[in-house]
Amino acid sequence: MADTISIPDSLRAKAQEKGWPDDLVEQALATGASADQLIGYMNQGVTAEQARGFLAGPASGAASGGSELSTELKAAAATAQWPEDLIREALAAGAAESDLINFMTLGVTAEQAREFMAQGGPPQLDLSWMQVPTEWNTRAKPTKHGLTLEAINIGRYGEIPDEWPYQTEMPRGAVPIPGVEAMGYSIFQKQEVWSDVCARLYEEAIQRRWRPATDVPWASIEPLADDVERAMCQICTHISEKEQMEADVLGRWEPDISYGYHEVKLYLATTIFENARAVEVFRKRALSNGGGLGMQSPGWGFRSVVDARNFTEMCSIQMVLQDSLTLAQYQYLEKYAKNPAEKYIAAHAMEDKARHVAYGITHLKYVMMHRADRRDEIQRYLDKGEGMMLQDDRKDPATREAFAIYFAGGKDNIREGLKTYNQMRKRAIEQYLARLKWATIERADRLDAGLKAFLQD
Amino acid sequence: MPAFPSVEWFDAIREITNKDPEFRALGTVDCVIGIKVGSKILEVTFDAFECTNVREVGENDLRDMDFWLEQPYDKWVDMIENIKKNGKADLSHTLNTIDLSLPDGFARAHDGYRRDAFYRFNQSIQDFFNASAKIDTQFLAEAAVA
Repeated sequence: MADTISIPDSLRAKAQEKGWPDDLVEQALATGASADQLIGYMNQGVTAEQARGFLAGPASGAASGGSELSTELKAAAATAQWPEDLIREALAAGAAESDLINFMTLGVTAEQAREFMAQGGPPQLDLSWMQVPTEWNTRAKPTKHGLTLEAINIGRYGEIPDEWPYQTEMPRGAVPIPGVEAMGYSIFQKQEVWSDVCARLYEEAIQRRWRPATDVPWASIEPLADDVERAMCQICTHISEKEQMEADVLGRWEPDISYGYHEVKLYLATTIFENARAVEVFRKRALSNGGGLGMQSPGWGFRSVVDARNFTEMCSIQMVLQDSLTLAQYQYLEKYAKNPAEKYIAAHAMEDKARHVAYGITHLKYVMMHRADRRDEIQRYLDKGEGMMLQDDRKDPATREAFAIYFAGGKDNIREGLKTYNQMRKRAIEQYLARLKWATIERADRLDAGLKAFLQD
Repeated sequence: MPAFPSVEWFDAIREITNKDPEFRALGTVDCVIGIKVGSKILEVTFDAFECTNVREVGENDLRDMDFWLEQPYDKWVDMIENIKKNGKADLSHTLNTIDLSLPDGFARAHDGYRRDAFYRFNQSIQDFFNASAKIDTQFLAEAAVA
């Protein structure tokens, strides 16, 4: 007695909702598909008709060597100029009629087919993947910006779900197959990582790339006073260290983000690349004018980022708080550059860093718009991040003094330099608060008292 | 000879910019910026690889821009003359340097996110102003824009 296929209640309910009849569901289950898989297909918008076509497979139109050829096969043969004897020979050798139509459609000539046959017949191809029920006839059009990620986000491929149900590396819009091992992703909710501009920021980062080795006018660097060169080298050491730390941290989060949000994964990849470029260019500057590297940073601020337990926590502290400070540092380095090379480096690092901040703050805004209940949680992350940042201020005289000497043009004017340093910190905090305000996060009253002090200068 | 500030002056550097392969090589630039010189306000639109439009607008339009550039008239003249003299802004006349030199800043905006376009596209906007080195500028009398 044959086994009876039973349809689980959850599957039956989903099938009724999506218009899949019971016999089709039973047929699909009989082929080995699981209930979860079928629900997944239905959620993706696969219709009953597409499913029937998929289940029919490539052999559905197979004809024996002696029977009448189908009208479709005859038409394809006429177009491809395959003689009937060749077709019958191929069918007799075991080829499926649908395979032959595929070969003809793909442009295989009669002569090539005969060569295959002479070698023992055409290879036994599966080709069932050609019947996969993904959305077909997709024709993305280049825009003024070229064929961008946003331009290809059309039809089902542009549907970015609030929850991504797959544990594997399956691209968004493809069809899952059973049995694939999980990738170990841990982020499956859009609000955990999304920014409405991440695809645009990715394209911007790709378009606005620069090459430190050849674009920076290195020959414009001339010997500086010893204290100024030492200050610059200490700044370069500090920046190289923190940019590498950001790259390392983001690199660790990348494998946690599921493939449903590939725009975020791609944008973060460019961020890591830009962190690497900053490490490269500031290290090159330190080693190009008779100086060398300086002293390591105490890294209190780094810890609050490294220890973050969820993505939004990391993003709040690194890409909004810390990067706001780094962006202000690049602004001031641009202003006080001693030569065109340093001007170029700071100006371009500034552009890169502004994108990092843009991602961070637009992510926070997305969270606020979709999970307002996380507001206080984010405030607490910022409490922690600001506290650790202040520890750096107190325990890292090397960085503070180096910036002050560089701004002042020498340690004899360090008082003036320290004033400029404090202005830089003030500007960083003002811009940080303004960005948070845009993201609907009022922070001015809750700002760490130590940071607030900079605003009163 | 186009007069600064005017649509004609900005159109002249817009045409130079859009033909400049170095501007294109800097990458896409997408922002709408304002130029505020006294009471005169011009809106300059960048889209993808080009500057697409310049038009004269009113004070209320500033709200729809990413940011606007504003400084005293004599500082505008100093900036443009410096660019003409050096072929581009020297180290002390770049947009960012001027921004940090003015008490109220050079790049201003109504919100903290859109203002960051000033940093994201800084070198393209600098390149746009640097194109003014290739034209002769007649400056309107300050009273004309007061």
